Amino acid sequence: MYSDLIAEHFMDPGYVGNIDSPEFEFKVGNSVCGDRIQIQFKTSKNKITQIAYRAWGCATSVATGDIFCESVENQSFDELVSRSNEQMAALLGELDPSQQHCVNIMESLHEKLVAAIG
Amino acid sequence: MDKQTLSYYFDYNATTPISESVTNTMKSNLSLFYNPSSNSTLAGESKEVIHRARRNVAKLLGCEPAQVFFVSGGSEANNWAIKGYLLNLYKNPGHIITSAIEHPSVLESLKYLEKQFNFQVTYIEPQANGAISAQDVGRAFNPRTQFISLMYANNETGVIQPVEFIQKLLHSGVKFHIDGVQYIGKCPTDVKSLNVDFMSFSAHKFYGPKGIGGLFVKDPKALSPLIHGGGQEMGMRAGTENMLAISGIGQAADDCNNWMDSWYKHYVDCKNYLIKRLQELPFKIDFNGDIDTTKSVPNTLNFSIDGVRGEAVAAFLDKKYNIAVSVGSACSNNKQNKLSHVLVAMGLDEERVQSALRVSFGRYTTFKDIDYFVDGLTFSVTKLQNIGAIA
Repeated sequence: MYSDLIAEHFMDPGYVGNIDSPEFEFKVGNSVCGDRIQIQFKTSKNKITQIAYRAWGCATSVATGDIFCESVENQSFDELVSRSNEQMAALLGELDPSQQHCVNIMESLHEKLVAAIG
Repeated sequence: MDKQTLSYYFDYNATTPISESVTNTMKSNLSLFYNPSSNSTLAGESKEVIHRARRNVAKLLGCEPAQVFFVSGGSEANNWAIKGYLLNLYKNPGHIITSAIEHPSVLESLKYLEKQFNFQVTYIEPQANGAISAQDVGRAFNPRTQFISLMYANNETGVIQPVEFIQKLLHSGVKFHIDGVQYIGKCPTDVKSLNVDFMSFSAHKFYGPKGIGGLFVKDPKALSPLIHGGGQEMGMRAGTENMLAISGIGQAADDCNNWMDSWYKHYVDCKNYLIKRLQELPFKIDFNGDIDTTKSVPNTLNFSIDGVRGEAVAAFLDKKYNIAVSVGSACSNNKQNKLSHVLVAMGLDEERVQSALRVSFGRYTTFKDIDYFVDGLTFSVTKLQNIGAIA
């Protein structure tokens, strides 16, 4: 079963696509389940001003990419680097046991982002 | 029954809706509370409900009513056939042949016998077309072989296993169990000419209620009782009968006896139409297992779609179109649990297994429903391929 949050971001994602000449780009994969997410973004004045993603994976992983993008857009670098793994996991709301692997994906996205802007 | 819901339902191998005739029969028997084991006059009607059901099921299978035993469903029937026979031989545990694509109720029962009683089990791998080779089974025999357990049709691919050929290879004294759960009620069956020892079946796969199924037993003396007690089910499964459910399976069997030919033709027409529509799609489809309607049950189609995960497609179909299908892989951090053991055993690579869908339709499916499914599939896959187009 999918929560309303996951269903909404899976069915109608707002951040799918590519950015022309992205300033940053990284990919996250889960070697066990095979899910892959690509993130591209641009920054201005220590903020993420434009972000897009693509995802190959299950419904929850597609939603995870979208929730991640929404959570970082227009946020300052200081705010982004201060986020904890618990805060990142909480962004996904309640997950079934079979969807828990997306918490790892979300944490990996956060780590890659911090490494890119830190 | 909500006709619109049925129009969106493509998961008949998981379970079928209870047909109107079965519903009516069960409703009409609701007031029959007399214990069929009683000798009172009033219990006669209850007894007759069970006798009639047993006769109908025997006709469906092509056997005698005394060879039909009602149980709670396919898993129980599989467990009983395997353990009810082989545990009689626990002092002399021998060799068992099965396949790698069996239902978990067979595989787990055999693992139990391996671990607890030192039986030796050979698991035959299927060929790329989803069928096991009769020759491979023939080669697996050894002088200690005591039992073979194989499914008639695979639940995921629908591929029919060559049980007639395998029966001809049987060595003397070797018992043959067929898990017929995905075959009985869809295709004509004759256990007499098959000459098998045990055949499992389940009512909710052919428009009967859940919680009732049965086991055909050629020679009941060869099998130990499943439940000891008051002598019900001819002394093989004690406990007051689930009379309503038994009346339901009896009606479901009677419907099959009367209409099987026309339904079978309907399934073949639907499958051929779905295959044609899928082959016209603008993206690549790979069928998993033989799709020939003489080599697979005609209500089942398993295929993989390039560039998407089956789980995501199924979720999209469910959320946007209310369409129900099954998938070949559940997303999980546990690799062993997530991939279909059937598709993996057929040698398909991980990405193809992950992108697999099982579509199974039934009596109530129309060409218009198939068009609705294909339109929904086209939109869902196109959208997900765009989302997943990672450079």
